[in-house]
Amino acid sequence: MATIGHNNINAKLVLLGDMGAGKSSIVLRFVKGQFLEFQESTIGAAFFSQTLAVNDATVKFEIWDTAGQERYHSLAPMYYRGAAAAIIVYDITNEDSFARAKKWVLELQKQGNPNMVVALAGNKADLEDKRKVTAEEARAYAEENNLFFMETSAKTASNVNDMFCEIAKRLPRAQPAPNPAGMVLVDRPSEGSRAAASCCS
Amino acid sequence: MPSDTGSSAPHHDLDPEPQSVEEQLASVTLSVSDGQPSTHQETNGVVLESVNQNTQLVMEEQLQHISVPAGEIDEVRESADRGVVWGRTASEVDMDGLSSPSSSGYAGERGSSSETSGSVIGDVVEQDEIEETRNDVIVDEVSESRTPWLPAKRHVDEDDASISWRKRKKHFFILSNSGKPIYSRYGDEHKLAGFSATLQAIISFVEDGGDCVKLLRAGKHQVVFLVKGPIYLVCISCTEEPYESLKGQLELIYDQMLVILTKSVNRCFEKNPKFDMTPLLGGTDVVFSSLIHSFSWNPATFLHAYTCLPLAYATRQAAGAILQDVADSGVLFAILMSRHKVVSLVGAQKASLHPDDMLLLANFVMSSESFRTSESFSPVCLPRYNPFAFLYAYIHYFDADTYLMLLTTNSDAFYHLKDCRIRIEAVLFKSNVLSEVQRSLIDGGMHIEDLLVDPLTRSESSSHLGQHKPPTESLERLKEPYLGVGGPAGLWHFIYRSIYLDQYVSSEFSSPINTPRQQKRLYRAYQKLFASMHDKGVGPHKTQFRRDENYVLLCWVTQDFELYAAFDPLADKASAIKACNRVCQWVKDVENEIFLLDFIAPSVSFRYTLQE
Repeated sequence: MATIGHNNINAKLVLLGDMGAGKSSIVLRFVKGQFLEFQESTIGAAFFSQTLAVNDATVKFEIWDTAGQERYHSLAPMYYRGAAAAIIVYDITNEDSFARAKKWVLELQKQGNPNMVVALAGNKADLEDKRKVTAEEARAYAEENNLFFMETSAKTASNVNDMFCEIAKRLPRAQPAPNPAGMVLVDRPSEGSRAAASCCS
Repeated sequence: MPSDTGSSAPHHDLDPEPQSVEEQLASVTLSVSDGQPSTHQETNGVVLESVNQNTQLVMEEQLQHISVPAGEIDEVRESADRGVVWGRTASEVDMDGLSSPSSSGYAGERGSSSETSGSVIGDVVEQDEIEETRNDVIVDEVSESRTPWLPAKRHVDEDDASISWRKRKKHFFILSNSGKPIYSRYGDEHKLAGFSATLQAIISFVEDGGDCVKLLRAGKHQVVFLVKGPIYLVCISCTEEPYESLKGQLELIYDQMLVILTKSVNRCFEKNPKFDMTPLLGGTDVVFSSLIHSFSWNPATFLHAYTCLPLAYATRQAAGAILQDVADSGVLFAILMSRHKVVSLVGAQKASLHPDDMLLLANFVMSSESFRTSESFSPVCLPRYNPFAFLYAYIHYFDADTYLMLLTTNSDAFYHLKDCRIRIEAVLFKSNVLSEVQRSLIDGGMHIEDLLVDPLTRSESSSHLGQHKPPTESLERLKEPYLGVGGPAGLWHFIYRSIYLDQYVSSEFSSPINTPRQQKRLYRAYQKLFASMHDKGVGPHKTQFRRDENYVLLCWVTQDFELYAAFDPLADKASAIKACNRVCQWVKDVENEIFLLDFIAPSVSFRYTLQE
């Protein structure tokens, strides 16, 4: 599929969020198309890669699925350092996990790459009857903080691929490089608008 | 049949043992099936052992002060036959007398068991006695009787008021020095706050007397305490394992906690003595429950040695060479393992890995399902290497059983380690290491049935493992006079531990030790033997021959190795000794395949012969 002028983008993406919010489930749904009802706790961080073709580019995501446990919080910078994108995941049935998500947003705003594409994912959207966090509340928060927001369900696969797709579109485009392996994306704000223009939602 | 006393190898002339083994055996033979020293003949009383003897008196005053009607504490060496204190301390101690945190509604929780107010644990002891002799399986081992054991937190619905919880034969607790529960093997930690506070109270008032509590005995129950700075560990057990073994298990549990958190967790308690540690250990229940489970099947937990997967020398060399290559590029340790067995292992420069660290690291990796899903990069601490610092581990499974661990001090090394793994994988694939590993997992290592009766036949055949013997050899074995049921001379199983190599090899289980329950019983017997051989007060012993209704156990310790062998209880002593000598010869013959041989360490020694 590679054509002349085609963009090959390597993008480091990190998932952050409270334990049990569904980070691993989202990744496994996206990378392997699987869902486990009882997903074991992640230890440290698990690494995955998955390539997505969007209209004008092939994006190879290098995904860090971090552990949500408190003991790993201080190690998070190790994983989000140099990331081009982050997905902050909370569980719509758990208010604490939404509060925790807000803390992650703050941390990324303080420490992270200012041009990072940050998505807020309200996971477990299939559990509507147990909902504690309204979509309106989360959307308002996301708008305030310049995040893009989606409610997802790793279980039903709803919005999971769409979210990665959207991130891929929003990623700033780099110059086609002859040797892109291991490249960390350098942001170009001027191109951000072009990427945004091509997204569908 | 050969009538020589196992003197098959020419090395026997070099036998350095001046004293005949028969004499040695005679001097150390224990005929009792129960290794408890006779000074602990108390039936129902509670006996406390501590570092300084003066604590007994303090305890007595304290307990009387807190008005336990029937309870009294006895001197360790006194024969005690009085009321059950432990039952009371567990359920009815008035905490006001102690400087400890309040026991969060504990009195209410015990309401359901108030009918048994006389001696709560005492009742359980009696019930357990019945269960232990008749059907061991009911309470503790139900999940491992037939179905494979799954690492999971069990019985979270239980608490200390539940009869089922009280009947469990072996409890482990981690708590903080302010009495906050951190981990409990059974039940929900948060519901055990009151129980935790009780344990803390016992430890703290012994500490107030300038002493340190080690052990409480109450009937068949032992309560073993281990204090590690702000962390307390407690085991309550009626499994009759020796104190030293239980203490060793608590040490491993503590070290497993350090693998996850490092010792710098102590600082949290310096800042805030009421610090709640449970969130820090979130999601690690399986790591602890899997470790506790391994106390009953993995001899590495008491031998402090690791074991290798049996492999052809060239195969292990091929794996070792590529790991060495990687280690030279800035990897601290490169370890290739299959289940709990080492395929190969390399340390950079002088870094060496303690067998206990390997055990805990392998347990951490194998019990956490998340490592199987993809490659991972996780902080880990090796307590024997540096208890205060995290290393970073790159972990990757090549197949369902075989995994690579690359350890580094550099938190940015992931992509480098990933590249290393790709190189290693290519070499392992090209040299068929992974398929050989799978084959070895299926074939197993040393089968006692292969231990040949006539050493001459042995030398004719190949000394490689897993090689099929010509039928003539099996015929030959049939001519062996009856010396017990099972393998040659009634040999059922053995463990050989090389002291220089920090490694052990154990024979595959075969009839009649072929259920998990029998295997667990045999390991417990070995463990007891190990503890008695290493008892500083009595030993060091060189040999021990022990016969009970289950086995003949023979243990032989030299400067270079330790051999533990189990025989049919009817086995003849002379034949057992012969069989042990043959086992040692056999281990020597196949050492290249069963051990990871270091360049420096001497190979398996065969300067010894056990003689009648």
